[in-house]
Amino acid sequence: MSDGRELDLQLHLLDRQVQDPDRRMICKVDDLELELDASGRPYVTAILAGPRALGPRLGGRLGRWMAAIAGRLATPEESEIPRIDFAQVTEIGSAITIARTSDELNVAPLEGWLDRHVIARIPGSLHESE
Amino acid sequence: MKASDLIGRPVLDSAGRRVGIVTDLRCIQDGPLRGAMAAPRVHEVILSSRRVGSMLGYQRQEQRGPWLVRLIVRWLHRDLMVLPWESVQLSDDGEIRTLTVTGDRHRPR
Repeated sequence: MSDGRELDLQLHLLDRQVQDPDRRMICKVDDLELELDASGRPYVTAILAGPRALGPRLGGRLGRWMAAIAGRLATPEESEIPRIDFAQVTEIGSAITIARTSDELNVAPLEGWLDRHVIARIPGSLHESE
Repeated sequence: MKASDLIGRPVLDSAGRRVGIVTDLRCIQDGPLRGAMAAPRVHEVILSSRRVGSMLGYQRQEQRGPWLVRLIVRWLHRDLMVLPWESVQLSDDGEIRTLTVTGDRHRPR
Protein backbone atom coordinates (compact mmCIF):
# COMPACT_ATOMS: atom_id res chain seq x y z
CA MET A 1 0.00 0.00 0.00
CA SER A 2 1.38 3.39 -0.93
CA ASP A 3 2.15 6.16 1.52
CA GLY A 4 0.27 9.44 1.24
CA ARG A 5 -3.12 7.73 1.50
CA GLU A 6 -5.91 9.60 3.26
CA LEU A 7 -7.43 7.82 6.27
CA ASP A 8 -10.04 8.89 8.79
CA LEU A 9 -9.22 7.33 12.15
CA GLN A 10 -12.81 6.65 13.20
CA LEU A 11 -13.96 5.53 9.77
CA HIS A 12 -10.99 3.50 8.56
CA LEU A 13 -9.18 2.23 11.67
CA LEU A 14 -11.18 2.20 14.91
CA ASP A 15 -13.22 -0.97 15.55
CA ARG A 16 -11.69 -2.74 12.56
CA GLN A 17 -10.65 -6.38 12.83
CA VAL A 18 -6.93 -7.04 13.27
CA GLN A 19 -5.73 -10.21 11.55
CA ASP A 20 -2.45 -12.06 11.17
CA PRO A 21 -0.82 -12.81 7.78
CA ASP A 22 -2.93 -16.00 7.53
CA ARG A 23 -6.12 -13.95 8.09
CA ARG A 24 -6.67 -15.39 11.58
CA MET A 25 -8.49 -12.91 13.80
CA ILE A 26 -6.38 -11.41 16.60
CA CYS A 27 -8.34 -8.54 18.12
CA LYS A 28 -10.17 -5.34 17.26
CA VAL A 29 -8.76 -1.84 17.04
CA ASP A 30 -10.24 -0.62 20.34
CA ASP A 31 -8.24 2.61 20.44
CA LEU A 32 -5.16 4.16 18.86
CA GLU A 33 -2.06 5.48 20.57
CA LEU A 34 -0.97 8.89 19.28
CA GLU A 35 2.22 10.87 19.67
CA LEU A 36 2.93 14.46 18.70
CA ASP A 37 5.60 15.13 16.08
CA ALA A 38 8.01 18.06 16.25
CA SER A 39 5.37 20.41 14.84
CA GLY A 40 2.76 19.29 17.41
CA ARG A 41 0.76 17.21 14.93
CA PRO A 42 -0.46 13.81 16.25
CA TYR A 43 0.41 10.62 14.41
CA VAL A 44 -0.53 6.99 15.07
CA THR A 45 2.09 4.93 16.88
CA ALA A 46 0.16 1.84 17.97
CA ILE A 47 -3.11 -0.08 18.03
CA LEU A 48 -4.56 -0.54 21.53
CA ALA A 49 -6.72 -3.59 22.14
CA GLY A 50 -8.84 -5.17 24.83
CA PRO A 51 -11.40 -4.07 27.41
CA ARG A 52 -9.01 -1.63 29.08
CA ALA A 53 -8.72 0.25 25.77
CA LEU A 54 -12.38 -0.04 24.81
CA GLY A 55 -13.84 0.75 28.25
CA PRO A 56 -12.73 4.39 28.46
CA ARG A 57 -13.88 4.89 24.88
CA LEU A 58 -17.37 3.63 25.70
CA GLY A 59 -17.49 5.82 28.80
CA GLY A 60 -20.16 5.74 31.47
CA ARG A 61 -20.66 3.05 34.06
CA LEU A 62 -20.36 0.19 31.57
CA GLY A 63 -17.05 1.48 30.25
CA ARG A 64 -15.59 1.97 33.74
CA TRP A 65 -16.81 -1.45 34.81
CA MET A 66 -15.33 -3.11 31.73
CA ALA A 67 -11.92 -1.48 32.20
CA ALA A 68 -11.85 -2.12 35.97
CA ILE A 69 -12.70 -5.83 35.68
CA ALA A 70 -10.11 -6.36 32.96
CA GLY A 71 -7.53 -4.51 35.04
CA ARG A 72 -8.24 -6.71 38.08
CA LEU A 73 -7.89 -9.89 36.03
CA ALA A 74 -4.62 -8.90 34.38
CA THR A 75 -1.46 -10.47 35.77
CA PRO A 76 1.46 -8.17 36.82
CA GLU A 77 3.21 -8.81 33.52
CA GLU A 78 0.00 -7.79 31.74
CA SER A 79 -0.26 -4.47 33.58
CA GLU A 80 0.04 -2.42 30.37
CA ILE A 81 -2.86 -2.13 27.91
CA PRO A 82 -2.12 -4.58 25.07
CA ARG A 83 -0.64 -2.65 22.16
CA ILE A 84 0.51 -3.49 18.67
CA ASP A 85 3.13 -1.10 17.33
CA PHE A 86 2.09 0.45 14.03
CA ALA A 87 5.39 -0.85 12.60
CA GLN A 88 3.74 -4.32 12.59
CA VAL A 89 0.92 -3.17 10.29
CA THR A 90 1.33 -4.43 6.73
CA GLU A 91 -2.05 -3.61 5.19
CA ILE A 92 -5.02 -1.38 5.96
CA GLY A 93 -8.19 -2.50 4.25
CA SER A 94 -11.55 -3.72 5.50
CA ALA A 95 -9.36 -5.43 8.13
CA ILE A 96 -5.95 -4.43 9.49
CA THR A 97 -3.30 -7.03 8.67
CA ILE A 98 -0.21 -7.25 10.85
CA ALA A 99 3.03 -9.19 10.52
CA ARG A 100 2.69 -11.07 13.82
CA THR A 101 0.47 -13.84 15.20
CA SER A 102 -1.77 -13.75 18.25
CA ASP A 103 0.57 -16.03 20.24
CA GLU A 104 3.51 -13.70 19.65
CA LEU A 105 1.58 -10.62 20.76
CA ASN A 106 -0.47 -11.70 23.81
CA VAL A 107 -3.08 -9.01 23.11
CA ALA A 108 -5.97 -10.88 24.72
CA PRO A 109 -5.04 -11.28 28.42
CA LEU A 110 -8.69 -11.61 29.44
CA GLU A 111 -9.06 -14.61 27.15
CA GLY A 112 -5.81 -15.97 28.60
CA TRP A 113 -7.15 -15.58 32.14
CA LEU A 114 -10.40 -17.36 31.20
CA ASP A 115 -8.37 -20.09 29.53
CA ARG A 116 -6.18 -20.64 32.63
CA HIS A 117 -8.81 -20.24 35.36
CA VAL A 118 -12.10 -21.39 33.82
CA ILE A 119 -11.66 -23.40 30.64
CA ALA A 120 -8.69 -25.40 32.01
CA ARG A 121 -10.86 -26.59 34.96
CA ILE A 122 -13.56 -28.07 32.75
CA PRO A 123 -13.08 -31.85 32.58
CA GLY A 124 -11.80 -32.80 29.16
CA SER A 125 -10.56 -29.34 28.29
CA LEU A 126 -6.95 -30.48 28.41
CA HIS A 127 -7.58 -33.25 25.86
CA GLU A 128 -7.10 -36.01 28.49
CA SER A 129 -9.03 -38.44 26.32
CA GLU A 130 -6.57 -38.19 23.46
CA MET B 1 -2.39 10.36 24.12
CA LYS B 2 -5.10 8.22 22.58
CA ALA B 3 -7.47 8.81 19.67
CA SER B 4 -10.35 8.64 22.15
CA ASP B 5 -8.84 11.59 24.03
CA LEU B 6 -9.70 13.72 20.98
CA ILE B 7 -12.63 12.02 19.22
CA GLY B 8 -15.83 12.95 21.03
CA ARG B 9 -14.25 15.98 22.70
CA PRO B 10 -15.94 19.37 22.37
CA VAL B 11 -14.16 22.09 20.41
CA LEU B 12 -14.44 25.66 21.69
CA ASP B 13 -13.95 28.99 20.02
CA SER B 14 -11.72 31.67 21.46
CA ALA B 15 -14.62 32.99 23.56
CA GLY B 16 -15.17 29.58 25.12
CA ARG B 17 -18.36 28.82 23.17
CA ARG B 18 -18.80 25.30 21.87
CA VAL B 19 -18.23 25.04 18.11
CA GLY B 20 -18.88 21.31 17.83
CA ILE B 21 -17.68 17.85 18.75
CA VAL B 22 -14.79 16.01 17.14
CA THR B 23 -16.33 13.16 15.14
CA ASP B 24 -13.20 12.09 13.29
CA LEU B 25 -9.56 12.88 12.66
CA ARG B 26 -8.55 12.96 9.00
CA CYS B 27 -5.02 11.68 8.47
CA ILE B 28 -2.57 11.33 5.63
CA GLN B 29 0.02 8.57 5.74
CA ASP B 30 2.92 10.99 5.70
CA GLY B 31 4.09 10.58 9.30
CA PRO B 32 7.32 8.98 10.49
CA LEU B 33 8.12 5.70 8.76
CA ARG B 34 7.13 2.80 11.01
CA GLY B 35 7.85 -0.61 9.57
CA ALA B 36 6.54 -1.00 6.04
CA MET B 37 4.56 2.22 5.85
CA ALA B 38 4.37 5.79 7.04
CA ALA B 39 2.29 6.44 10.14
CA PRO B 40 -1.07 8.18 9.60
CA ARG B 41 -0.67 11.81 10.72
CA VAL B 42 -3.59 14.08 11.60
CA HIS B 43 -4.18 16.87 9.10
CA GLU B 44 -7.80 17.82 9.69
CA VAL B 45 -10.35 17.66 12.49
CA ILE B 46 -13.94 16.85 11.49
CA LEU B 47 -16.56 18.50 13.68
CA SER B 48 -20.29 18.11 14.04
CA SER B 49 -22.84 19.40 16.54
CA ARG B 50 -24.01 15.83 17.04
CA ARG B 51 -22.24 13.49 19.41
CA VAL B 52 -24.36 10.49 18.49
CA GLY B 53 -24.37 9.04 15.03
CA SER B 54 -21.58 8.25 12.67
CA MET B 55 -21.30 9.86 9.28
CA LEU B 56 -20.84 6.33 7.87
CA GLY B 57 -18.31 7.77 5.43
CA TYR B 58 -20.88 10.10 3.87
CA GLN B 59 -18.77 13.12 4.71
CA ARG B 60 -16.75 12.10 1.67
CA GLN B 61 -18.05 13.10 -1.74
CA GLU B 62 -16.86 9.83 -3.29
CA GLN B 63 -19.06 7.85 -0.90
CA ARG B 64 -22.19 7.34 -2.99
CA GLY B 65 -24.15 4.48 -1.39
CA PRO B 66 -27.94 4.41 -1.20
CA TRP B 67 -29.06 7.94 -2.01
CA LEU B 68 -31.74 8.02 0.68
CA VAL B 69 -29.26 7.05 3.41
CA ARG B 70 -26.81 9.59 2.03
CA LEU B 71 -29.43 12.33 2.13
CA ILE B 72 -30.52 11.50 5.69
CA VAL B 73 -27.01 11.23 7.09
CA ARG B 74 -25.87 14.43 5.39
CA TRP B 75 -28.96 16.28 6.62
CA LEU B 76 -28.38 15.09 10.19
CA HIS B 77 -24.79 16.29 9.98
CA ARG B 78 -25.50 19.35 7.80
CA ASP B 79 -23.38 21.50 10.08
CA LEU B 80 -20.29 19.33 9.57
CA MET B 81 -17.07 21.32 9.53
CA VAL B 82 -13.48 20.48 8.79
CA LEU B 83 -10.72 22.31 10.58
CA PRO B 84 -7.09 22.18 9.53
CA TRP B 85 -5.07 20.86 12.48
CA GLU B 86 -3.02 24.09 12.43
CA SER B 87 -6.15 26.06 13.32
CA VAL B 88 -6.78 24.00 16.45
CA GLN B 89 -4.96 24.52 19.69
CA LEU B 90 -4.64 21.50 21.95
CA SER B 91 -4.34 22.20 25.65
CA ASP B 92 -3.57 19.36 27.97
CA ASP B 93 -4.97 19.90 31.44
CA GLY B 94 -4.20 16.61 33.10
CA GLU B 95 -6.70 14.05 31.85
CA ILE B 96 -8.91 16.60 30.06
CA ARG B 97 -7.75 17.78 26.66
CA THR B 98 -9.42 20.83 25.17
CA LEU B 99 -9.43 21.86 21.55
CA THR B 100 -9.82 25.55 20.72
CA VAL B 101 -10.34 26.95 17.24
CA THR B 102 -7.84 29.66 16.44
CA GLY B 103 -7.99 29.75 12.65
CA ASP B 104 -10.03 28.91 9.58
CA ARG B 105 -12.81 26.41 9.33
CA HIS B 106 -14.51 25.12 6.23
CA ARG B 107 -17.17 22.72 5.04
CA PRO B 108 -16.06 19.25 3.96
CA ARG B 109 -15.22 18.49 0.39
